[in-house]
Amino acid sequence: MAFRNEFFEKNAIFLLVGTLLTVAVGGIVEVVPVFTVETTVEKVQGMRPYSPLESRGRDIYVREGCYTCHSQQVRTLRDEVERYGHYSIAAESMYDHPFQWGSKRIGPDLARVGGKYSSDWQYAHLKNPQELVPESLMPRYAFLAETPLQTYDTVARMKTLRMVGVPYTDEQITSAESDLRTQSDPTADQTKLLARYPKAVTVPGNGTPTEMDALVAYLQMLGTLVNFADTNTERLRQ
Amino acid sequence: MQSEVGDWIVGPFVAILGLIGLILFGRANDGEMTVFGAALALFAIVFIFSLIKRRFDGGHAVQAAAKGAGHE
Amino acid sequence: MSDAFAAPRPVMYNEDVVKKFIIAAMFWAIVAFLVGVYLAAELAWPSLNFGLSWINFGRLRPVHTSAAIFAFGGSALIGTSLYIVQRTCRARLFGGRALADFLFWGYQFFIVMAALSYVMGYSQSKEYAEPEWHIDLFLTVVWVVYLLIFLGTLLKRQEEHIYVANWFLLAFIVTVAMLHIGNNAAVPISLFSAKSYIVYSGVQDAIVQWWYGHNAVGFFLTAGFLGMMYYFIPKAAGRPVYSYRLSVVHFWTLIFLYIWAGPHHLHWTSLPDWTQMLGMAFSVMLWMPSWGGMINGIMTLSGAWDKLRTDPGLRFSVTAVGFYGMSTFEGPLMSVRQVNALSHYTDWTIGHVHSGALGWVAFIVFGAIYYIVPVLWQRKALYSTRLVSWHYWIATLGIVLYIVSMWVAGITEGLMWRAYDQYGFLQYSFVESVVAIHPYMVVRLLGGLFFLTGGLIMVYNLIQTVKSPTTELPREKLQSGYPAGAVPAAGE
Repeated sequence: MAFRNEFFEKNAIFLLVGTLLTVAVGGIVEVVPVFTVETTVEKVQGMRPYSPLESRGRDIYVREGCYTCHSQQVRTLRDEVERYGHYSIAAESMYDHPFQWGSKRIGPDLARVGGKYSSDWQYAHLKNPQELVPESLMPRYAFLAETPLQTYDTVARMKTLRMVGVPYTDEQITSAESDLRTQSDPTADQTKLLARYPKAVTVPGNGTPTEMDALVAYLQMLGTLVNFADTNTERLRQ
Repeated sequence: MQSEVGDWIVGPFVAILGLIGLILFGRANDGEMTVFGAALALFAIVFIFSLIKRRFDGGHAVQAAAKGAGHE
Repeated sequence: MSDAFAAPRPVMYNEDVVKKFIIAAMFWAIVAFLVGVYLAAELAWPSLNFGLSWINFGRLRPVHTSAAIFAFGGSALIGTSLYIVQRTCRARLFGGRALADFLFWGYQFFIVMAALSYVMGYSQSKEYAEPEWHIDLFLTVVWVVYLLIFLGTLLKRQEEHIYVANWFLLAFIVTVAMLHIGNNAAVPISLFSAKSYIVYSGVQDAIVQWWYGHNAVGFFLTAGFLGMMYYFIPKAAGRPVYSYRLSVVHFWTLIFLYIWAGPHHLHWTSLPDWTQMLGMAFSVMLWMPSWGGMINGIMTLSGAWDKLRTDPGLRFSVTAVGFYGMSTFEGPLMSVRQVNALSHYTDWTIGHVHSGALGWVAFIVFGAIYYIVPVLWQRKALYSTRLVSWHYWIATLGIVLYIVSMWVAGITEGLMWRAYDQYGFLQYSFVESVVAIHPYMVVRLLGGLFFLTGGLIMVYNLIQTVKSPTTELPREKLQSGYPAGAVPAAGE
C-alpha cells in the first residue's frame, strides 16, 4: 500500500491540511453547482420580493421559531400534492433569507397556506388555536396582537435584503413605510401597493400594524405567487 | 507562580473584546445588543480581574507549595 | 513523591481547565435534559406553553438542542480533548493558563448568550446554528483559540506519533470551524442590531444549511466523540485499540464521506434530483466506516470482557458504541429516498436523533466522566458503583421508551399522511395524526424523565466522589507540591 499514514501521523500540520482538503471535496462537488447551475432555480412568472409588511411578518415567523413545527415545502409525493397543493419549486423560495423548509411537521405544512383560510380565521387561530382546532398542539400567540410592529428599521432591513440579493427597487424602498401602513388598513387605496407587490393581501388592521397583522399578511401570501396554470412542466425542469 | 507570556497576550485581547462590548452596549438598537454588549464588557472585566488576582496570589501559592502545604 | 523532583522534569498538565469543563458539562447536561422534558410535556399538553413568548415551543426548542449539543456535548468534548491531547502528547497545554481559561469562560459565555438570545426572540432559524451574527463571531474567536491550543499542544508533543484520538479531535475542530463560518455568512441590518439576513437564499441556503447541519452531527457529535472513544475505552479496558489499520481506514473514509451526506435532509424537495441522489449514495456508503469504527471500539475489549461486569463506567462506553452502530445503520436506511418519503417530517427523525444523542453521545460522555473524575480529583474510586449501575439501567430504559415511542409515532404519522380511503381520497386530516400520536408523546416524556433521573443520580454520585471521606486517597499517594491546576505526569 503506497499510502503511509505516518506522513500525517508524525506531522500535525500535514494532518491539519490533509483533513481540511479531504472534507472540502464533498462540499465543493455538491454545494457549488447548486449556486452555479442556472436551471436550479426555475424561471417562472409571478415571483416577487416580499412586501414590507409580509417581510416583517416573515421576520416574526423566524423569531418565534415557527419552522420548528411547520415545514414550508410540499414534496413531490402524491399525497402531499393532494393535501397541500402543487409541489414546491425552488423559485418560490428564491427570496427567502433564510429558507424555511423546516425539518419536522408537528403541525401541517404551510408552503401553500395563503388564501386557504380567511384572515379573520388566521387572527382567531393565532390567538387561541384550541378554540378553532381543539386537538391542536399549537401555543397561543395572542401577545402578537398586542405588540405594535416595530417599523423604524424597515428600510434598513430592506436595504440589507437588497445587499444579499433581493431585487428591491429604490421606489419600493422609499415607499416602504407607506406600503406598511396601506397593507394593514383596508380603507386605504391599495392601487400603488398592488402595483409594486401584486397579490399582496391587505389585512384587517387600522393602519398602525401590530406584529400579528404582519404575520397574517405573510401567511396569506404564502405559496400564492406563482401561477401554475401558466407554467408548463418543461419550465419546471431543473 | 511565574507569569506566563500568554497572560500578556490574552489580557489585552480580552480588554479589546470588553471595549467592543461597551461600544455595542452604548449604541445598541435593540434589547439583544444591549444585553450582549453589557455582558461582554462585564465578562472582560471579571476575566481580567481574575488574571490579575491569580498573578498576585500566585506568589503565595509557590511559597506555600515549597513548604509542602499540600495540593490546592 | 519526594523523588518526583529528582526525576527528569515531569510535565505539568493543565488539569484545572479540564475539571472546569467537566463540571460545566454536568451542569449543562441537567439543563438540557430538563428543557427537553419540558418541551416533551408541551407537546403532550400544549397548555404548558402558557401563551408566554419566551417559553413557547418555538423559542425553547433551540435552547434544548443547543444545550444538549453545544453546552453539554461541547463542554464534555472540549474538556476531555484537552485532557487527551496533553496525556497522549506528554505536553502541557499550549498557550498557558490564561488562554485555556479564556477558552473555558469564553465558551460558557457563548452558551449563555445564545440561550438568552433565543428566548428573547433572536434567532437565525438555521437549525443548530440559531445564534445571530454577533454571537457567531464571538464563537469564531473562541473556536480559533481552541484550535490554537490544540494544534499548539500537538506541535510541542514529546511523542513521535500523534495518537489516533487526536486525529479525530483535530478533524472535529477544523471541520466545525469551516462549517460554522460557511453556514453563518450573514449581513446584519446595522452594526448595532442583532438582526441579520443570511446571504444565501432558498434552495442554496437549504443545501448550505444541511451541509452544515449534517456535519454538525458528523463532526461535532461523531468525530469528536470517536476521539473520546479511542482514548477512554482502551484506557478503561486496559487494552490497546483493536486494530491500528482499521482506525486509519475508519478515520479517512469517515471524514471524506460524511460531508457528502447532507442532501438526505432534503429528499423530494426543490433541491435538484442529482444532489439528492448523490447525498443518498454517500449516506449509504457511510454505513461502512461507521461500523468499522464500531467494531474497532467494541473489539478493543477482547480479552477484557470481564471488566464489563466490574466497571459500570465501561459498560456505558460499550453500550454507547452499540447505540452508535444502531444509529449509523438507521441513518443510512432513512437516507434512502423511498424510506425517507415515509420517515421525513415525522417523529421517526426525532427518535433517530435521540438514539444517537442519548445512546451514543451522552453514554460515551458518561463513560468517560466516570473514568476521569476520580483521576482528576485524585480520589480512590467512584463513591458508589451501585449508583452507576442504577444510572445505567434507568437511562437505558429511558432511551428504549424514547426511541420505541418515536418509532411508533413516526411510522403512524407517515402512514396516516399517505393513507387513501376506498374512494381514492386522503383518509385522514392532519389533526387526526396529531391525536393518534398523543399516547406516544406521553411515553416519550416518561422516557425523558427516566433519562433526567439517571443524570441526577450521576451528579449526586460524582459530587460524593469528590467530597466524601470514603473515597479519599491516603495522604502519601496524593501528588502535592505543585501549584494549583498543574499536576505532574506521574502514574501515566
